[in-house]
Amino acid sequence: MLVEDDRPILELMEILLSRIGYEPLIVPDVYEALDIVRNDPPALILLDVMMEPMDGWEFLEKIREEYGIKDLPVILFTASPCVEERLATLQDKNLGVLEKPVSIPELRAGLEKFLKK
Amino acid sequence: MRSSGPGGHLKITGTANGELEMDEKVFRIYRYAFSETDIVRGFVIASLVITCTLITAVSFSRSLTLINYQIFFIPILYATYFYTRRGLIVAGISGIAYQAVGYYYRFPDPAALMSVTSEAFLFVIIASLMTFFIERIRSGEARYRSVFEHSQLGIVLVSLPDFRIKQTNDKFSDMLHFSAGELASMTFPSLAFTDPEQSRFLDQLEKHENCENFEIRFRTKDGNSCWANLSWSAIDERTVSVTAVNINARKLIEEINNDTMMKYRMLTENSPTSILVLREGRILFANPAFAAFSEYSPGEVEGKELHLLLDTRDRDKAGEFAESPAIRTLPAGSNELQFVTKSGGLRVAMVFANRITHNNQQATMMSLVDISVQQRLEEKIQQDNERRRGIIITVAHEMRTPLQPILGYLNLLIQDPEGFGIIDSTKKMLERCLVSVERERQIINQMLELSVLDSGKIQLTFSDFSLSALVTSVLDTCGYLSKGDVTMDIPDDLIIVADRDRLYSVIDSLLSNAVNYSKPPRKIHISYRPGAGGTTHTISVQDNGIGISEAMFSSIFEPFQLADAAKLSRKYNRLGLSLSIAKKIIQMHGGDITVESTVNVGSTFTVHIPQTSAEEKTRVS
Repeated sequence: MLVEDDRPILELMEILLSRIGYEPLIVPDVYEALDIVRNDPPALILLDVMMEPMDGWEFLEKIREEYGIKDLPVILFTASPCVEERLATLQDKNLGVLEKPVSIPELRAGLEKFLKK
Repeated sequence: MRSSGPGGHLKITGTANGELEMDEKVFRIYRYAFSETDIVRGFVIASLVITCTLITAVSFSRSLTLINYQIFFIPILYATYFYTRRGLIVAGISGIAYQAVGYYYRFPDPAALMSVTSEAFLFVIIASLMTFFIERIRSGEARYRSVFEHSQLGIVLVSLPDFRIKQTNDKFSDMLHFSAGELASMTFPSLAFTDPEQSRFLDQLEKHENCENFEIRFRTKDGNSCWANLSWSAIDERTVSVTAVNINARKLIEEINNDTMMKYRMLTENSPTSILVLREGRILFANPAFAAFSEYSPGEVEGKELHLLLDTRDRDKAGEFAESPAIRTLPAGSNELQFVTKSGGLRVAMVFANRITHNNQQATMMSLVDISVQQRLEEKIQQDNERRRGIIITVAHEMRTPLQPILGYLNLLIQDPEGFGIIDSTKKMLERCLVSVERERQIINQMLELSVLDSGKIQLTFSDFSLSALVTSVLDTCGYLSKGDVTMDIPDDLIIVADRDRLYSVIDSLLSNAVNYSKPPRKIHISYRPGAGGTTHTISVQDNGIGISEAMFSSIFEPFQLADAAKLSRKYNRLGLSLSIAKKIIQMHGGDITVESTVNVGSTFTVHIPQTSAEEKTRVS
């Protein structure tokens, strides 16, 4: 599942993910994404960080702490350079990061860390 | 007063009449010495005794009752006055002579004979009494004169009301180099060195009958000044006795001290550095620079305790500085004190303290260098740097996001040109676009990485790994082997402790530079050797590139600085951030990167990393 509020990136990522053999669920709205996670969790979430009205960190906290879903792999998909520092403090082995802009090989490698095709 | 002179002369140093000294001829008879005056007096006394005897004889023979024994008192008193005990001899002789004459004319009348004998005894009694009293008076005088003459104090007797000098002792004469005679013709106040001092002295003499420790400067005979401490008291209505102590030496020392103090004051008062003198934490002296610094006048802070002027957070430090035995060499930052100014502002000073002697007592002198401006500037620079980093991070983020669709679609198109109906020439153009996009992404990433490293918020993650494996990985992944003749001399079994990912990027940057700043045939050699003393790892990357002039060695590590930047930027289309990042990473490891280079021959970049255990590194970072 890709949670991203930037429409051009959303459309691109849908194509790229399909190209490399995944079946992406594209969700531009965070609340809708939360509902999906709660009711029918996907295999992995590719999560934009800077979103409105809820950013990726809050989203992550909600599914990990409120919903208690600890095993679901989440990859933060961000252009922000300060993610790794915060990532280190969380000590979450099911959490990764992919920096925007990402090339197809990088995307493939990043996903394969968590998902075996 | 007399004493025997050694050369047969009698030296008269003074007489009962206060005569001045004079020398006289002396005659010796048996063991007695007689001066001419003695002989004359002896003659007078003898004449008087004989005359008195004759007059008494006539008086007895004529029965004249009015003139008899009384006239003998003339020679007796005369002799007793001048010769005291010897006067008793004259009294005895006179008594015998009187008794002989009396017995001759009155014999055998028992009452008359008794009377004559009594009167003869009366001569001796009167002479004895005279002797007793005169000797007492003279011994008192002698004691006084001895004190007067031999006193270590100058003594002056001054007559009232004209303050004329009546008498002085040798000490006072010596003090001013005048003779006693010269002083006797002067008035006491006229000895003052200057007219104002004379007026002050006269005023003091007139107002105070008794006075102690009055200090005055006299003029000596040779025109110099002489400081004296005077005490005086009136001994009768017409005489004042003055004692004088020479305090020239003390005054000289005081003047030197004052001079030193003046110089010291001049230095401290004109010093641009704030200076405080403290004893037991209390301010004894504050210079004008401190007044400007604290906004308190020196008068307002003198006597105050230092800690009351400090910010509450620094009050404990005040004691340490006040008790400092010598110039303090404290670590940077710990010798700073924050002062609260009179208007309530906060000012920071770097403090240096050392022991001094102030007013003959131990004290602490504190020099305060106002670093408020410097600190504000540093804070501003830090804020500016923070802001700059914030801007770079925000801008970079905003720049990276739009790159994603460009990069993604280019990837898509290039990977499947047939699927999208792209002909070869279009594909080549798209590939060039992709290269440019990758370049831009790299620049933005480098800017971001440098900003994040600069912020100091990044922690290294240390691990043990094989250096040769790491370098091989860089060579393989980044394709450097295909770009030149790359050789490696690193022991296979060498394990080092460092942040693997970051050291990877450092090696990548150095190899990338070696490839980019040289032309084929490229020769790149990567080598390892333990550093001097076995405390460091030394990894070198040597190339045969264009080289760097020595003047540029330090600036190539500065952000956006390249050797011959404009030319190289044009030539290689590169921005010089990778070396800055590499150096920063190695510095975070506690090491450094150095460069040796010869223009048009090649460069060697050497990484020095301390050999430390992983545990230690984690703790240090």
